[in-house]
Amino acid sequence: MIIEKFFNKWIMFFLILIPTCGVIFDEPYFITLATKVVILGIAGIGLNLALGYCGLISLGHAAFFGIGGYITGILSFHALNDEVLFSWPLAVSGSSEMLIIWPIAILVSALLSFIIGLLSLRTSGVYFIMITLAFAQMLYFFSISWPNYGGEDGLSIYMRNSFPMVNTMDPLSFYVISLFWLLFSIFISLRLINSPFGMTFQAIKQNEERVKSVGIETFKVKLLVFVISGTITGLAGSLYTDLNRFVSPTVLDWHTSGEIMVFVILGGMARLYGPLVGAAFFIALEQTLGSYTENWQFWLGLILILVILFARSGILGLFDKKLKYEK
Amino acid sequence: MKNKILNIKNLSKSYGAFKVTDEIAIDLNFDEIHALIGPNGAGKSTLIKQIVGSVKHDVGSIVLDQEDITDLNDVERAKIGISRTFQVSSIIPKFSALDNIILSLLDKSKETFQLFKSIRKNKELDFKAKKILKEIELSDKSNILASELSHGERRKLEVGLALAMDPKVFLFDEPMAGLDESGTKMMINLFKKIKTSSPILLIEHDMDAVFALADRVSVINYGKIVATGTVDQIRSNVLVRDVYLGYEI
Repeated sequence: MIIEKFFNKWIMFFLILIPTCGVIFDEPYFITLATKVVILGIAGIGLNLALGYCGLISLGHAAFFGIGGYITGILSFHALNDEVLFSWPLAVSGSSEMLIIWPIAILVSALLSFIIGLLSLRTSGVYFIMITLAFAQMLYFFSISWPNYGGEDGLSIYMRNSFPMVNTMDPLSFYVISLFWLLFSIFISLRLINSPFGMTFQAIKQNEERVKSVGIETFKVKLLVFVISGTITGLAGSLYTDLNRFVSPTVLDWHTSGEIMVFVILGGMARLYGPLVGAAFFIALEQTLGSYTENWQFWLGLILILVILFARSGILGLFDKKLKYEK
Repeated sequence: MKNKILNIKNLSKSYGAFKVTDEIAIDLNFDEIHALIGPNGAGKSTLIKQIVGSVKHDVGSIVLDQEDITDLNDVERAKIGISRTFQVSSIIPKFSALDNIILSLLDKSKETFQLFKSIRKNKELDFKAKKILKEIELSDKSNILASELSHGERRKLEVGLALAMDPKVFLFDEPMAGLDESGTKMMINLFKKIKTSSPILLIEHDMDAVFALADRVSVINYGKIVATGTVDQIRSNVLVRDVYLGYEI
């Protein structure tokens, strides 16, 4: 734990150093890359709560990432085109204000994860994996066949949504906004895993029958973890749309669920900063190996196999074998 | 009826043609330790699973403290006061002994859904858990991972988890299996003490412990209760000797 805490401080240092270098050397691309890492890290932190700490192997987190992204895209699209979103029972227009979009994206992601969780958590094991995957794919195919918002081609928003007194088109400003949400997600996760509720869902991962036998309704606990997890991932999706100024059905595809899962596994499951490290490693590989070969994901696959075989606690686990409850 | 905390009637369970429990009728009085003995495969553990609700019975009724709990699920039964130990130790392996006990205290203290309060700062839970660890003589193992405890220590921890729930009845499934002499002695003294607040239905193969503890003994064979009585009555029962003990005591 001590080594991991030390390592986490270094991660925070790099999160400040990289964009600073981007500003000093006038390389905004560095800042955009760092922003991407931060946003994908948030998505991974969301999944880590369900997968890493509670043992819920969800292949449906693309649904939450995508819905957060589409909510942002759709609201922004209507605001920028000055069209009403819907006119019955009340006329509601879109919005390009992040402070309005975020709560809506959060609420819709929470509602969607509640519905999916309510149905999926009645199953377990491979059935849970398949049912979460099925829900995400359902939304994916729906988005493809919805021409109003670009269908397969996706939806472009020609400028980032606004935030009071901040130029969100400035890469550094948007990075700071994303960093705030990353720190907030880490803070929420930290408080949760150290709470009585966190103790309960970490126990469920290890021995659900025992947790039930002490009178704890494990279904409710798992549902709440799933909702919090989906909500954080949905928020990441919202930021991702703003980063790219574009959203397409790709964000709802099962590949996205798989990628988020890869961040968690690479960095280290049930490690607070694991998904962030995993996302950084993933992006670094994409940038370095991707410049040499189109098939860089082959090498990623190879690394993933090595991690699973020899470093089950991920990259962070290589530095510190001990998990939270192994004090 | 009034002095019975647990009353089970006509409880049956079959897997196909095989009857695991067959019209079981057993009860538990206040302040009592009722031991359930029988050969391996007789249906003792299945009966416990049916009482706690993890195995659904086909017919029969279960009344706990004058409340019919037949249709309740396992979690609801645990909540209203049935606490158990498992035949094979079932603990949270990566939690310390202290954290295992704290987990068991959460539901009763309505803390399960405390999302942002630090568990480490809850002095009351910490105090209660340490008190239970002292009762089961595991105070010195408080911060040791449950997976690193010896077999006997895990059995004690299981009993500690049951104690922490402060239930109406205890169902102990071979709690003394694998304990050394001092461990067994500790358990016997502990059970004598706690039975006054919550009676115990005890499954145990250690006959010395059973005869030292039990107020009543029931013998189960092929899923049927074949005899119930005091220790002396059971010791002198010819049928019991034939089906289980196989020798004169």
